Amino acid sequence: MTDTAAQIQETISATDVVLFMKGTKDAPQCGFSQRVAGVFNFMGLEYQDINVLADENIRQGIKDFSDWPTIPQLYVKGEFVGGCDIVTEMVLSGELDALFAKEGIAFDKDAADKIREANA
Amino acid sequence: MAVIDEIKSNLMAEFSPTLLEVEDQSEAHRGHSGFQEGGESHFHVIIRAAAFAEMSRIQRHRAVNAAIGKDIITRIHALSLDIDS
Repeated sequence: MTDTAAQIQETISATDVVLFMKGTKDAPQCGFSQRVAGVFNFMGLEYQDINVLADENIRQGIKDFSDWPTIPQLYVKGEFVGGCDIVTEMVLSGELDALFAKEGIAFDKDAADKIREANA
Repeated sequence: MAVIDEIKSNLMAEFSPTLLEVEDQSEAHRGHSGFQEGGESHFHVIIRAAAFAEMSRIQRHRAVNAAIGKDIITRIHALSLDIDS
């Protein structure tokens, strides 16, 4: 394992929900990262944001780590969940609620329902 | 060959989809990061094929990315996928 991969492994093991994104949760710098961070912020989710633009090693390293070509990338309890399209689909279908419930991760269920109502 | 046609023909060959729509949305991203003059930077794919029935979401995306090919994936800036069986 490379140093970068080890660093990523440590990060996703240390925190329940980690989002590798372009920019930060308060100042996203890409539409796809903005969409996921916006939804998580609205859902009152506690998560760690990792700005890949701040570290070129992580920016490439995270793609190699998961063998996934795009950013953002969501990890829950150390497991890769998906990118923007998958997270969006899982929010709208309720699968993400189920995953968070199963893993004991707190979030605002009413807010998640509101997102689904608005996109129904 | 235009990138959009390469994407279409690669997906057609791999999955024989029942529905395939590939849209070059680059113009909508004019002025954003990753936009390049002449387009061919932002793509949206809608694909329906029987092959996806038994796959997880991640497997579906990996299969589509693999079929489109690393060469194209690294050349374009953004690709959003809507995949179902």
